[in-house]
Amino acid sequence: MKHLQHTDLNYSELFDEFRNPNSGAVVLFSGEVRDNNKGREVTHLEYEAYEPMANKMIEEILKEAISRFKLNQAICAHRLGRVEISGCAVVVITGAGHRKEAYDANQFIIDKVKNEVPIWKHEFFTDGTSEWGQNCDCVIGTGEHEHDHHHEKAE
Amino acid sequence: MDKRAIKIICFAGLRKYFGSETTVHVESGDNYSVIIDGLKAINPEATEVLTSCRIAVNEAFVSLGDPIKTENAIFLIPPSSGG
Repeated sequence: MKHLQHTDLNYSELFDEFRNPNSGAVVLFSGEVRDNNKGREVTHLEYEAYEPMANKMIEEILKEAISRFKLNQAICAHRLGRVEISGCAVVVITGAGHRKEAYDANQFIIDKVKNEVPIWKHEFFTDGTSEWGQNCDCVIGTGEHEHDHHHEKAE
Repeated sequence: MDKRAIKIICFAGLRKYFGSETTVHVESGDNYSVIIDGLKAINPEATEVLTSCRIAVNEAFVSLGDPIKTENAIFLIPPSSGG
């Protein structure tokens, strides 16, 4: 599937398409746009990506998750462009025989996508200002990433 | 030693400092950290954000200590937005 979308994400449709007789557990995560961040009122978000690389990286993350957690299936779709408050910015659905694998894999995928994939969030505030999200502060001097710690989650 | 121009593609907050693309001149044998240093020289105000950027070539990240092997554009990747 296409991992980056410029139009609204419909997680209900994705969930319906996802059904699989081998999956006793299906977990759906929807990352949605909040109306506030760090005490400031947010009007909307805009997402930008280095699309070819982001698409390739999400594909690799899904393959890794399927293998590592023995999933039957996994999908991830991320919105690009303007997303309104309560709009869906990213969806991850994982299916496995049992719930533990489906839950663990889902969190693994969303954490990796949020922390590593070149997708950027531009927040717009009610006071007319805007700011690029920079929640990921895990790059060290060598240019390598360290991900042994947890990031602040803004969604 | 001859210098050659490398095109740098910028994203997100980096465009405030460099626009969508800029150019850095490098020499044979230079590593990718020279590109970061070159950008700091072009716009010292970007120094802080540049220290947390990564470089991608052919849709894969490279280490700053690696020698520059490509003649293609390189992509300067600011930190992902996280949450």
